[in-house]
Amino acid sequence: MNRNNANAITLRRRMNETERKKRIFVYCSILPVIAIFAFVRIIPIFKNFVYSLFESTVVNPMQEFVGLKNFVDLFRDPLFLLSLRNTSIFALFVTVFSVVLAVLLAALLVNQSKLSPLYETLYFLPVITPMVPVAVVWKWIYDPTYGLLNYILSWFGIQPIGWLVYPNTAMVAIIIMSVWKIVGYNMIIFLVGMRDIPETYIEAARIDGASTNQVFWKVIIPLLKPILLFVFVISTINSFNVFTQVFVMTSGAQGAPGNAVRTIVFDIYENGFRYFRTGYAAAEAVVLFAIILLLTFIQFGISGGSGDKKIKIGKGGAN
Amino acid sequence: MKIMRKMFLVALVLLVALQMGFANGSSEAKAETLTIWSGYPEMEKFYKQAAERFKETHPNVTVEIVSHPLREFEQKLSATIPSNTVADIIEVSTYANQKFIDAGLMPALSDEVLKFAKADGRYSSFALNNNTTNGVIYGLPLFQGRTALFYNTDMFAEAGLTRAPQTFDEMYQYAKVLAKYDEKGNLTRSGHSLRLSGQGSGVAEKFWFTLYPMGATIIEEGKTPGTYHAAYNNDAGRKALQYYIDAVYKDHWDDQLIKHDTEAFELGQTAMFFRESWVIGDIAAKAPGLNYETAPVPKDARWGRITNVENLYVTKASKNPELAWEFVLSLVDEDNQRWMFENVGWLPCRNDINIADIIERHPQFAAFVYTDPEYEEYGYIPIAAFDEVTTKLAERLVTAFLDSSLNGNSAGIAKTVSDAAAETNEILKRYKLFGE
Repeated sequence: MNRNNANAITLRRRMNETERKKRIFVYCSILPVIAIFAFVRIIPIFKNFVYSLFESTVVNPMQEFVGLKNFVDLFRDPLFLLSLRNTSIFALFVTVFSVVLAVLLAALLVNQSKLSPLYETLYFLPVITPMVPVAVVWKWIYDPTYGLLNYILSWFGIQPIGWLVYPNTAMVAIIIMSVWKIVGYNMIIFLVGMRDIPETYIEAARIDGASTNQVFWKVIIPLLKPILLFVFVISTINSFNVFTQVFVMTSGAQGAPGNAVRTIVFDIYENGFRYFRTGYAAAEAVVLFAIILLLTFIQFGISGGSGDKKIKIGKGGAN
Repeated sequence: MKIMRKMFLVALVLLVALQMGFANGSSEAKAETLTIWSGYPEMEKFYKQAAERFKETHPNVTVEIVSHPLREFEQKLSATIPSNTVADIIEVSTYANQKFIDAGLMPALSDEVLKFAKADGRYSSFALNNNTTNGVIYGLPLFQGRTALFYNTDMFAEAGLTRAPQTFDEMYQYAKVLAKYDEKGNLTRSGHSLRLSGQGSGVAEKFWFTLYPMGATIIEEGKTPGTYHAAYNNDAGRKALQYYIDAVYKDHWDDQLIKHDTEAFELGQTAMFFRESWVIGDIAAKAPGLNYETAPVPKDARWGRITNVENLYVTKASKNPELAWEFVLSLVDEDNQRWMFENVGWLPCRNDINIADIIERHPQFAAFVYTDPEYEEYGYIPIAAFDEVTTKLAERLVTAFLDSSLNGNSAGIAKTVSDAAAETNEILKRYKLFGE
């Protein structure tokens, strides 16, 4: 008995030793990645929070501790409030349109045909095209004199529209372009989700007499809930971070009126990198972070956590 | 084994000795690389030819040239000067560099270059003062952006106009005559291309072309030296804004839908516009068949043109500042300055160089070197706050130009000007530069 106990203890020690070595190996393996991630992500984010409490200069981002003054000033700054309003409008429309359109496109492409890969590629192409050239091309498309869009509209007798000239149309123009850019990504995610839904669910609904509409709304959409949540969260975060297209489309003598499409990241950029108000820009970044965090929690709350956990779909049992 | 080890050691010693020998032998011709950054892509060809010329006397020196559009370039400086990763030499205007000078991030001119810069008659006091902070000169003036009026002579002849406008009132009337519309009333050619849109400070700078002759300016020095306040919340400021609003809404000889600036002039979509001399080189390359002339900026309450000096600075990041300054001096020698003027179009800053033969060959340059005791020069104020002042004024102006309710609304115009001036003063207060 004692010998058995001793063997068991030895075996346990060896296992513990092996386990310990494994763990050390694992930690050592991921340490460089964690170190790089901390260096390029975590530390700057932490520093940003610290900087937001300081008045800054070009050489010293922590010139003078001012507490919450930057935050108080922010909410009195008409340009920040304007950019907050513009960003919210932009995010709302881009998120809603890009999700709705992506679901519809995915529903159309869900049944595989010979041309499916071609359509999927066509819709996905804008996603992989870099934003700067895309924004430049769209700026040409929107040109009031030579733009393709006005040329097409002229076939229907519509007078030239200064898409990027007037505040109301400039925002619409940038929303259209951004939806076009992102919809392919959302579509692919929904397509994967839809193709992962077991055929038996749809067949069962059809046997019960469900119409195509009913299958879509009562079976497919509820089963897509976790993916819908993921796409909503990602689209919202991306939309609140909008910058490149705004920057490109407002530059130059024919650029859109800056304030009409001024967004938070553009305002952060201008304060941080043009006027060197690093502390103030950091405070704006903290507010942006808080907004995105809040919206993500709300979206999780509305969808009941990380999706409908009761329904298990897919061969792997993924929810 | 011992023999092998000995042989290895001998080989190693020989290798090191050989390397040292090569290193000593080549020390005379040690390869050097200088980097130069510019905010004017059209200047690349100038630097390339200057680098080739420099290589004739310095065969071991390679010059790497990088240029970016101006605003992107200024932003690049913001990231690289504080982090000491900037090029050896940068070509930038004082106003964009002032924040780095104030922060102690830019070295002053070397003694040799200072002696060169201060030589009698070499540079105007305007160019040197523009580069001076607390009595220290920081950059060597390379070229100057002076404004003049470009006008299309074919369009003028078609409209029966025989000479350039001489006053702003006259220019307004010319613009009305020169504008063209389609059958639906859409503007197809602007009489005078004003800058009405776009981000950054450009809109305010172009507004200044009108504001200054009308008797106002963006900021002026306060009673206490070194302090400033907005100088356009007055009749002249309101008149300048009125000029723009009338142009767009009352007489509609310009609007936001038509092309603007150099592109519009080269495409024949405007009859007149204000710009610097580089446009001459641009037209020669892109629209060689265009018939045009230039003229001094018209008069109003006063007469003046903007002059923006672009300088060369050797940065703290330079590993070989002596060589960098040597190259800078070569860039402003007579041959290079003349080459730049004739081939790029930027007006040299040096006053002691003969450019008469170039002007004879390209008469459009004449308006840029035109002088008259009454013809004033004004320019960017070398304070760090100026960029924010002009950028925020530009944002307000763009909004105002889109506001048709300001047409015939002098109270609205007064409020727009007053609000903008209040913001200017707030910015100056934040920078602790405000003074009545």
